[in-house]
Amino acid sequence: MSADKVKSVKEDFVVPHKLFSLSRVWAIALNTFTQLVRMKVFYFMLIFSVLIIGANFLFLNFTFEQELKILKDVSFGAMTLFASIFSIVGTALLIPKDIEDRTLYTILTKPVPRFEYLVGKLIGIILLVAVSLVLMSFLFFAVLYFRQHAILAEEIKMIRGGATDAQKEYLKETIFAQGVSPELILGVLAVFLKAAVAAGVALVVSTFASSTLFTIIVSLVVYFIGHAQSLALEYYFPDGQMYGALQTFIAGIVAVVFPNLQMFNIFDGIITGQSISTTLMLRLIGLTGFYLTIYSMISWILFAKKEL
Amino acid sequence: MLKEQGFRDWAPSMSAREQLTQASFVGSIGGFRSLIASIYDLRAHQAFLDKDWASVEKFRGITTSLQPRFAKHWDLAAWDLAWNAYAYYRNKSEWTEDGIESWQMKNIMMPRYLEKGLEFAKQGAEWVPESYRLAMVVADIYSQKYNDPELASQWYFKSSQAGDAPPFVFRAYATHLARCEGKEEEAYEVTSLLYRSTRSSNRSLTLTVRRDMERLEDHIALIAANTMSLEQLESAALKNGSTYLDFAKLGMHLLEVKKDLKAALAVYRDIANDKNAPFFYGRKLLMLLARNPANEEQAYAALKKLLKRSPELFRRQDLIEFTKLETSLGASNDNRKK
Amino acid sequence: MMAEEIIPAVQINNLTKIFPVPFRKEKVIAVNDLSLCVEAGEVYGLIGPNGSGKSTTMKVLLGLISATSGSSAVFGLSSSETASRGSVGFLPENPYFYKYLTGAETLSFYGKLCGLSRRKIKERTSELLSLVDLENAKDRRLGGYSKGMLQRIGLAQALVGDPRLVVLDEPTAGVDPAGSRKIRDLIIELKQRGISVILSSHLLEQVQEVCDRVGIIFEGKLVKEGKLEELIEIESQTEIILEHAEPKILDQINELVQASEETRVLRSGKPKTTLERLFLKETGAESEDVRKDS
Repeated sequence: MSADKVKSVKEDFVVPHKLFSLSRVWAIALNTFTQLVRMKVFYFMLIFSVLIIGANFLFLNFTFEQELKILKDVSFGAMTLFASIFSIVGTALLIPKDIEDRTLYTILTKPVPRFEYLVGKLIGIILLVAVSLVLMSFLFFAVLYFRQHAILAEEIKMIRGGATDAQKEYLKETIFAQGVSPELILGVLAVFLKAAVAAGVALVVSTFASSTLFTIIVSLVVYFIGHAQSLALEYYFPDGQMYGALQTFIAGIVAVVFPNLQMFNIFDGIITGQSISTTLMLRLIGLTGFYLTIYSMISWILFAKKEL
Repeated sequence: MLKEQGFRDWAPSMSAREQLTQASFVGSIGGFRSLIASIYDLRAHQAFLDKDWASVEKFRGITTSLQPRFAKHWDLAAWDLAWNAYAYYRNKSEWTEDGIESWQMKNIMMPRYLEKGLEFAKQGAEWVPESYRLAMVVADIYSQKYNDPELASQWYFKSSQAGDAPPFVFRAYATHLARCEGKEEEAYEVTSLLYRSTRSSNRSLTLTVRRDMERLEDHIALIAANTMSLEQLESAALKNGSTYLDFAKLGMHLLEVKKDLKAALAVYRDIANDKNAPFFYGRKLLMLLARNPANEEQAYAALKKLLKRSPELFRRQDLIEFTKLETSLGASNDNRKK
Repeated sequence: MMAEEIIPAVQINNLTKIFPVPFRKEKVIAVNDLSLCVEAGEVYGLIGPNGSGKSTTMKVLLGLISATSGSSAVFGLSSSETASRGSVGFLPENPYFYKYLTGAETLSFYGKLCGLSRRKIKERTSELLSLVDLENAKDRRLGGYSKGMLQRIGLAQALVGDPRLVVLDEPTAGVDPAGSRKIRDLIIELKQRGISVILSSHLLEQVQEVCDRVGIIFEGKLVKEGKLEELIEIESQTEIILEHAEPKILDQINELVQASEETRVLRSGKPKTTLERLFLKETGAESEDVRKDS
């Protein structure tokens, strides 16, 4: 190779370094997502399908409210479970593994700031949770839609001497009120937001944890305490008022360490027919954004100076 | 803040917490509350199939404390105890040969489960006031199990005020009110309101409302007939703005107090011609006409036509009388032929 | 361009790295006041036994860990800056990549991290795959790669951003002689392209053929540094290797030596081939010359 050629090739590849590059973050996120997909995590869809289709045929002599409720409960329970497991175990599995296998060396010795690596991993896992929730929702809504129509047909048939139009309308209204509704989509969104916060927790833990198992256990503990957090705060501050700066500070620390995950369980409200206000949804989204920002920052602080 | 939104409706009460196992408690706060409630729902159903009423009561208690805002849980709890458990012990008490056991079932078990069921329904009505369902269940229990039309009518009324209440709840309210002694005036107001509203729309009247209407009008007319003088009644009937009911009171007085069939017939004829009067006054008039042997045949023919066209106007006692009339006419015809 | 020539590829000054031992007062000094400089275009070998501080030095150079004291820079940019990684390619010891990615996907992933355009990544990927001889395996997942193949895809990964400095940590460790020969050939090719290379090895022999300069590191200190020939040549000795030597000539040489006052024969006999050469000959693996021709 001549010297001229070497020079020209070099100049072609001189890329000015960016302090923060979305394309690098996206590359890491997509790589994380691909990795998880190829680990065949989507086989869980089989389990999910069996669960919710099974929930359909188990209890046939129930009232339609019970039948539809069980279907929704099983689906939402499974969604919450899968989404939380994916977010916690996925994060706990991938980051410590990168460190253990020294794959991280090859990434961080490219011009990739450590912050981008963390954010990329987080986005990748959240992406996986989002895609799996979309898949589950499709199946769930399809089954629910099919079921509500089947139940309606059944109920109409049970009316002796044929149902009048008014009766049909009434049945349709009462049965479909328990069926597919926009509220359910909001419920799924809340499940997603909760899983995203859980992934954030696992991200923080995995930056100082030395093993996958430790990360999973600590994250799960935080996850469960996060659900009881509001109860505990209510116990210590019964009328919801903080007295003095110290208590407010302590409560703030508790709220950061143990995110209030109970807030995301709006499915209970949905199943009892409460309408979900836009303000509540926006508040949950804002809260998720807040937690993810805080957690990314904390993990960055912990990770920036980590000796690898 | 979520309390305002109605989402923090639940902090597990101690008793519920004690009943729940550790695992399900953690799960219930971990986003699986609804699922766990469903599982206990299934367990309760299994206990129902096994006729294990103590467990049914326990599991229904758990489902309702896990999801107190879900009406169906309360509904099923009340149903399982006040109907299923109650009926189970009633049947068993009738079949058992052990006298003491039978007595125990009748006097301890049955009232106990009835009370428990009623309690569930009442609590549910408090938790889910926006649904007609649970207040109706309370009313049903008072009506069907305690035979207390007064309390039943109160709860039916409460239920009928919920936004989602179907029309039959208000009818049940009217019906039960009509059975409360000493509340006839109030009951008449409600029933006539119902009668008129359903008559003006094309919907068919239920037989109960027709019967209650007639019974209440008769009742009111009879009281007036017995307490007021003829002059008072006449002036009331002739006053401007009087209704057919004032005439009915007068007619009743003439018929029952004065025993003046002719004068009464004149009054009832006026009523039957009043467009506002219920149709059963036409039947009443014909029945009175039939009392006079001279008009017997004519009245019979008219009644027969009416019966064919609108049989719903005839009460049981009317049908009996009609049959009597038919047989006496048949007998006299036979005599004439002979 | 002229200024660039003056800036050394690697400049490490008085580097010290101390690792604290958890729950104990004593500390481990991994690197002790080490200074070294790699000129642009130079191949530098860092040799020393396991645990002597080679890897630690490289990690500091690459910003994976921070120095306790002293400084380290790549083409004038401090190692603590992410931007300094823009001109470096690194192959860790026994590299392990995402085994769910194929060879081509791996290179494209690292290309994206280097901020290359999509077109460039495509070009670069196929170029490097042929360079490291993995074109046939490019659509296979890394899970199915042999150790040698992983080492080569690792090398390609290090080169994807077209670095001006390549850092290789034990590049031939655990690789069979044929693979190790290939890697050596690649290093020579890099050198021909004007790319600086710093490599570490605990096997002295492997370094010999490719390094311009070597540094010997022991217990965290650079104990000797210099051009390879200078370091290993023994001033007082001279070697003569003859082919088809006739006994008569050998006798004459011996006579001449005995006549001299100072010269002595230390050893004579048939030179031995290295085990590595023997292995390559017997297994019929491509030799250096065959490769160069092709």
